[in-house]
Amino acid sequence: MPEIKPRIGVFVCHCGKNIAGTVDVAKLAEAASRFPGVVYATHYEYMCSDPGQALLKRAIKEHRLSGVVVAACSPTMHEETFRKAAEEAGLNPYLVEIANIREQVSWVHSGPKATEKAVRVTRAVVEKVWGDRPLEPTEIGVVRRALVVGGGIAGIQAALDIANAGFEVLLVERSPSIGGHMAQLSETFPTLDCSQCILTPKMVEVSRHPKIRILAYSELEEVSGFVGNYRVRIRKKPTYVDPAKCNLCGECAKVCPVRVPNEFDRGLSLRSAIYIPFPQAIPSTYTLDAENCLGIVPLRCGKCAEVCEAKAIDFDMQEEILEEEVGAIVLATGYELYPKEAMAEYGYGTVPDVIDGLEFERLLSASGPTRGEIRRPSDGKIPKEVVFVQCSGSRDPEHHKPYCSKICCMYTAKHALLYRHAVPAGQAYVFYIDIRAGGKDYEEFVNRAMEEERILYIRGKVAKVFREGEKVVVWGVDTLTGKRVEVRADLVVLAQAVVPSPGTEELARKLRVACGGEGFLKEAHPKLRPLEALTAGIFLAGAAQGPKDIPESVAQASGAAAKVVALLSRPKLEHPPEVAEVDEELCSGCGICAPQCPYGAITVDEVAHVNEILCEGCGTCVAACPSGAMSFRNVGDEQVLRMVRAALEVEGAGV
Amino acid sequence: MKLAVYWTGSCGGCDVSFLELGMGLLEVLSRVEIVFWPALVDAKRRDLERLPARSVDVTLVNGVIRTAENKEMVEILREKSKFLGAYGACAHLGGIPALANQVNGVTEIVFGPGFRPGAPLGEAAEDAPPELLPEALSLDEVVPVDFVVPGCPPPAGLIARFFEAAFAEAISPGRIFAGEKALCEECPRTREDRRLTRIVRPHEVQPDPEKCLLDQGIICLGPVTRAGCGAACPKGGMPCTGCLGPTPKAGDPALAMLSALASLVRAGEEGESAFPEENKILDSLVDPIGTLYKYSFAKYGRPLLKLARKRQEVRA
Amino acid sequence: MPEFEPRIVAFLCRWCAAAGADLAGTSRLQYPPNAIPIRVNCSGRVEPQWVVEALKAGADGVLIGGCHPGDCHYVVGNYKTRRRIYLLRRMLAEMGIEPERVRLEWISATEGARFAQVVSDFVAELKRLGPLHGNGGRG
Repeated sequence: MPEIKPRIGVFVCHCGKNIAGTVDVAKLAEAASRFPGVVYATHYEYMCSDPGQALLKRAIKEHRLSGVVVAACSPTMHEETFRKAAEEAGLNPYLVEIANIREQVSWVHSGPKATEKAVRVTRAVVEKVWGDRPLEPTEIGVVRRALVVGGGIAGIQAALDIANAGFEVLLVERSPSIGGHMAQLSETFPTLDCSQCILTPKMVEVSRHPKIRILAYSELEEVSGFVGNYRVRIRKKPTYVDPAKCNLCGECAKVCPVRVPNEFDRGLSLRSAIYIPFPQAIPSTYTLDAENCLGIVPLRCGKCAEVCEAKAIDFDMQEEILEEEVGAIVLATGYELYPKEAMAEYGYGTVPDVIDGLEFERLLSASGPTRGEIRRPSDGKIPKEVVFVQCSGSRDPEHHKPYCSKICCMYTAKHALLYRHAVPAGQAYVFYIDIRAGGKDYEEFVNRAMEEERILYIRGKVAKVFREGEKVVVWGVDTLTGKRVEVRADLVVLAQAVVPSPGTEELARKLRVACGGEGFLKEAHPKLRPLEALTAGIFLAGAAQGPKDIPESVAQASGAAAKVVALLSRPKLEHPPEVAEVDEELCSGCGICAPQCPYGAITVDEVAHVNEILCEGCGTCVAACPSGAMSFRNVGDEQVLRMVRAALEVEGAGV
Repeated sequence: MKLAVYWTGSCGGCDVSFLELGMGLLEVLSRVEIVFWPALVDAKRRDLERLPARSVDVTLVNGVIRTAENKEMVEILREKSKFLGAYGACAHLGGIPALANQVNGVTEIVFGPGFRPGAPLGEAAEDAPPELLPEALSLDEVVPVDFVVPGCPPPAGLIARFFEAAFAEAISPGRIFAGEKALCEECPRTREDRRLTRIVRPHEVQPDPEKCLLDQGIICLGPVTRAGCGAACPKGGMPCTGCLGPTPKAGDPALAMLSALASLVRAGEEGESAFPEENKILDSLVDPIGTLYKYSFAKYGRPLLKLARKRQEVRA
Repeated sequence: MPEFEPRIVAFLCRWCAAAGADLAGTSRLQYPPNAIPIRVNCSGRVEPQWVVEALKAGADGVLIGGCHPGDCHYVVGNYKTRRRIYLLRRMLAEMGIEPERVRLEWISATEGARFAQVVSDFVAELKRLGPLHGNGGRG
């Protein structure tokens, strides 16, 4: 490195008596004037005051300073102040450093030793400034559009909030309609308003919003780029129905000879190959499911097209690959229920009258397979005794999921309550481990179920569920009385654990977003950054991040949307330049650096590359780099070692 | 070109290594005048001493500086040579013999208590072995070194590169005849899973022939070692042990590699609960000094070792 | 002979340990002045070579202060440092240098008192160990 002769100025602050009362500031300034590289040193009563800053600016100009050390309070207090002042005097702000002689010297030590330490601390920081190079913040443009992945309530809310702020939104949904699980629900706790009634207006708003483009029956295929500048590839599957022409007459579905389980009803009813998931679906159109159709190429049946008066059916429709640019991405891919098939103790999902919570929602729903009458799947009889099993698959680290699925206590109370309303003579039992009803009006709701509705809450785990004739036998233990309990029920509803929706981990990999041990998307910080992924420009909403109820999902979605709006509103993204960098002449591409980075800022081909916008500046990769090809701007190895040596130098102490 | 080649504390492999040049050796021999090379030509110390100062164009010294005689000989060679280079890992960095520095008073342990270095072992005092130095040193600790041909022994390509430069009279001071980048540059193995979930020694596993050895838990010093050998060891299924010396900016290669290895260790998801398992993996690194400082202990381990010695004396 | 005053270089991460040291100041907690702080963004930036260089350059001990597990501002930097220092201490011990001279401590931004205590303890321990450079009593 060609050594330019430095001209460093040292400014010692008295901070009234805060520093000067303990540290001999005159002596410190005098010692500093003899440090190598220092051409000017002084002390002043309050450096942060206007006259103090003026003194600094004047000295920078008069003494043509190449660097500045202010020996004063903690850099968290006034580093910005002095850097701005220096910039105004024409000195690059990154050549200004603070020697903390207040919090870390004068306030904690006394006597001549305090002055000696102040000298050492200042001497070390002078060495740092000597090695500092002028830097400029990195700037980059922002694509003013957002991508929302997942069209459940969280995705819908995020899309609406971003669009209402004036930014374009692409809303990608895997299934033929947006709405998510919320569309399947009957009523919602704790208010018992009808889920569809509060959801569908929002769905319509999305479909009519001029800033929102819905890409249903589509999946995110590939993502490249970085914050503000993502490129995404979206695969849009053909629906074989032109939504602009389809008038929802439904004739096609009537003539379709195919019958397959209806996903929306969780298999409790059948649908044809050409279908609409539910009447209020958005986009408002039928979809031909190519997998179950008798044949499109070559055409084997074609009856649907024959009866379609709107001529909406187009067998030549092709899969589309869309390439889009977006500045931010919201992941709202939601949840699924842990499969009943995994529950050995509850019959592996083979007992027809053992169903999960979402199946029960469909039984409760007025638009469901039983038109809202609670009839059990095996024989359509109205069940007289129903057992609800909470924590089925949750809080069971040995066999299933270790975590609490959070929403089950509440929806089970709701289920039992709605069952009692529908079948007033019926008896409902709830097996629970604990009741977790933290939430506004939640505890009251559960109490109502327990006390007013005569629902029998039994504290204990269900050991076994099996079929015996027409009955489903439930064996459990009441841990409050210590007695074994047997219920010969007509229907058993399992509050299955909430798990990330299928494909979450694959999606996370594509986006370089981390998943926690249980597969939920991981937030950047569990407390302080719960709305965003560690990968800059990617935000999280809803149950994809962890089990959540509707209000929480909506709140998180709005929060994530606010973050997106804040990002997209910036004219340019500025990023501090104090980041890692690679000397490509020295890098062998060994790749040890890349896995050290929690932000995915490093890519490796022949050599490693650091994306300056993504690098947050921890320097962990630099310390890991064995060859020394990686360095950190203004915290170079040689710089730090000089600081260390200077701090330890006996003569340098000068007092 | 007048050439001298000398061995100090050496295994002899460096002298043999010139044969690696194959037919190229004939060309080299036709262009040099060997003025001193004990392994090839009978010449004694006094013959060397008679040579005028700076009369040898190039001298190559291989071996560690272990005895007083080694030291004297290289001092004479330095005086007689225009260019003096360290040839091979021992002269360059101390090499494997310098690992003996780990043990304080190694001669006492080897030759028994009461042994004084330089004391005659037999009756014939004239044949007494030379005095052992308290520690093994790299060549540059004893005399200024103009250039380095590194390796254990130097690979043919680098020897050829050296002679080419020497014949062209283009040896720039301080030059190390090896690559600037790390060995991974020329290693054909594929790197995928950059994490260490276990550490094994080469003899304990049959490594996958395609994958990076480090990814398979074998400590390979390739990432911190200069390229130049064509990644000969990794190609042959053995990890790089660092004989070409550290890359220009690595600093202390053992500490640089220590940092890299520790950074790569993973026992499941990182977090407090993984600490004990991570420690187990780190503990399974056998002989960290011997593994990471295999050739470089004299040059890079010495300052710390000196501190440790001083401490031992103070405590004693 | 004056009492041996150990010299310490303290690499402190900006978000936790340095902030903790600042809080010790704001709380006016007195502790020995032996440690010269050098602030870095993350304890993950600290290289084993820095630690060794500090010992070689005259330090009797080196303190590395980082965030508690789970609190790292950069999520996982402190875990890398923990492993590096663990292995470094093992290597130092094999060379004959007391591993106690290199200390890694988790100090949060709210632990001003803990920072003061850590420095005091470390100074006491180094006094017990004696000078690394065999010239105790200086300074």
